[in-house]
Amino acid sequence: MEGVKKLTRDDILELEAKPKSKVEKALDYVIAFLPTLFGIAHLLEYLLIPNHGMNKHTKIYTYFIGILIAVVFTFFIVGLFNKKVFAKLRYKAPFYSFVFFLLMAYDYLTLKTGILMLPYFPWVDRILNAAWSDRAYLLDCVKNSLILLFTGYFIGATTGLITGILCGYSKKVSYWVSPFMKLLGPIPSTTWIPVVMVIASSLFKGAVFIIALGVWFSVTLATMTGIRNVNKDYFDAAKTLGAKGTQLVTRIALPFALPNMLQGLIQGMSSACTALLVAEMLGVESGLGWYITWQKSWAEFAKMYAAIIIICITFITVNWLLTKIKRALLKWQEEVD
Amino acid sequence: MAGGGGLVASNCTLQLKGVSKSFTRTDSQEITTAIDNINLDVKDGEFISIVGPSGCGKSTILRLIAGLIPPTEGSILLNGKPINGTSPNRGLVFQEPTLFPWLTVEDNVAFSLKILGKYKEKKKEVDRLIELVGLSEFRNSYPHQLSGGMAQRVALIRTMINEPEVFLLDEPLGALDAFTRMNMQDEILSMWRANKHIVIMVTHDIDEAIYMSSRVVIMAPRPGRIKKDLIIDLPYPRNRMSDEFIDYRKEIMENLNF
Repeated sequence: MEGVKKLTRDDILELEAKPKSKVEKALDYVIAFLPTLFGIAHLLEYLLIPNHGMNKHTKIYTYFIGILIAVVFTFFIVGLFNKKVFAKLRYKAPFYSFVFFLLMAYDYLTLKTGILMLPYFPWVDRILNAAWSDRAYLLDCVKNSLILLFTGYFIGATTGLITGILCGYSKKVSYWVSPFMKLLGPIPSTTWIPVVMVIASSLFKGAVFIIALGVWFSVTLATMTGIRNVNKDYFDAAKTLGAKGTQLVTRIALPFALPNMLQGLIQGMSSACTALLVAEMLGVESGLGWYITWQKSWAEFAKMYAAIIIICITFITVNWLLTKIKRALLKWQEEVD
Repeated sequence: MAGGGGLVASNCTLQLKGVSKSFTRTDSQEITTAIDNINLDVKDGEFISIVGPSGCGKSTILRLIAGLIPPTEGSILLNGKPINGTSPNRGLVFQEPTLFPWLTVEDNVAFSLKILGKYKEKKKEVDRLIELVGLSEFRNSYPHQLSGGMAQRVALIRTMINEPEVFLLDEPLGALDAFTRMNMQDEILSMWRANKHIVIMVTHDIDEAIYMSSRVVIMAPRPGRIKKDLIIDLPYPRNRMSDEFIDYRKEIMENLNF
């Protein structure tokens, strides 16, 4: 251990790697620079090729692509001085280039040639303009959606953790709760939407219930499984070290079941997102799901796409946060996926 | 308190009186008698090794003394009082290290102190023991980052930190390579000689039993019973090559029918 200590992991990887020829090295730099090239190519295509028919474009997309180019170019410049950043860019560069290529192809097929027609296929510039002009409204929708999502999620997660721990630990509780889990579990929580929307005193409460139900189920099941699978040896070891009663739950069962619990929480989030959108599309009169159906009824496809993109960004952010939390909590595990 | 770091002269005794243990099979009504009518008197400062073929209930005896399972018949007395459930005063080190994977080395060692609310007063003891087994560098590592030998050393000091009056070792060195094993034998011996409490160790290794213990209990299987109780009358540290050592080995081998 001691002798190797001064080297970092990266140093070792570099020392042990096969030496690269000059051509290979040069090729790496070219590939790392490709995203910037593709970005510029797309910008030129957007600005120089004349639009099809009556199609118009604005400067918003120019700025948008400009910012993206600036980002990949900065990435490249930093990469020239930092090996780690360069390795990452070298790995990601082909895909970034492909994204620029896709944007260019889509722009060419819609704005420039009209092969893909309005109103179903608005070009990105149109979507950005729609999002920008409706920004206050969209932000409000994001806020309402997130409030609904997290209210339902937290209620479902909390009750799920409680029932999961109780079911996993106590055979009596499991006796009464498990049959219901087996019966109701396979039914997607969205099935209940029509019933709940009629019975619930407010649409918001109904939607919260639907979201919470799905989360509750996956968290309960995962927690229960985790706690039941606790290696008996850990209990024995803890007992001989003086642990008793609830200490066995808090100090052994819970930390042992934590990976399962987090898995349940992440799964619960994806079911919550589904339930949220369905609830908003079917009943609740606010939020992104509702915005989409509303704009669709006006054939405002650009605004609809804008909302879909925002949903995508929101959910990705939420899941990214959950994964970060999971990694931080599970750093004791050998491998965290 | 047990020993209190050697200041109080403790003279604890452990007695097994007519202890039998039977298990019922889960899949049938059949009953297996693991051990039958075990009588054993252990005095303070004794290091006892239990040897015998597998299936003779060696581990069962340790689990009974630890209080993890109750005896079917008979009683187990510590200082004249029947034992009741588990206690940090009767520490058990398992064959596998069973370190808690979610805790660092330091937190594993401090586990018991935290449970018993003694962490603040005995915090220094954690540092001392980690240093004793040469793992200061790994105090913030997680169990999966340790080798088998290191993990077993952590398991030893995790139990030792309570200064148990009865230190139970269930083949603690079974999974280690020969060199680590010999080092660990000396480590355990020096711990025992410093604290002078009762140690009861189950082992498969006859040389290990003779090298370490003051008394070797030889068991016979089905049902598990004591066949021979042998005092090893040799000064420490012992020489594995000496004639007396080899004589003891011969005697034990004969008792095990080899």
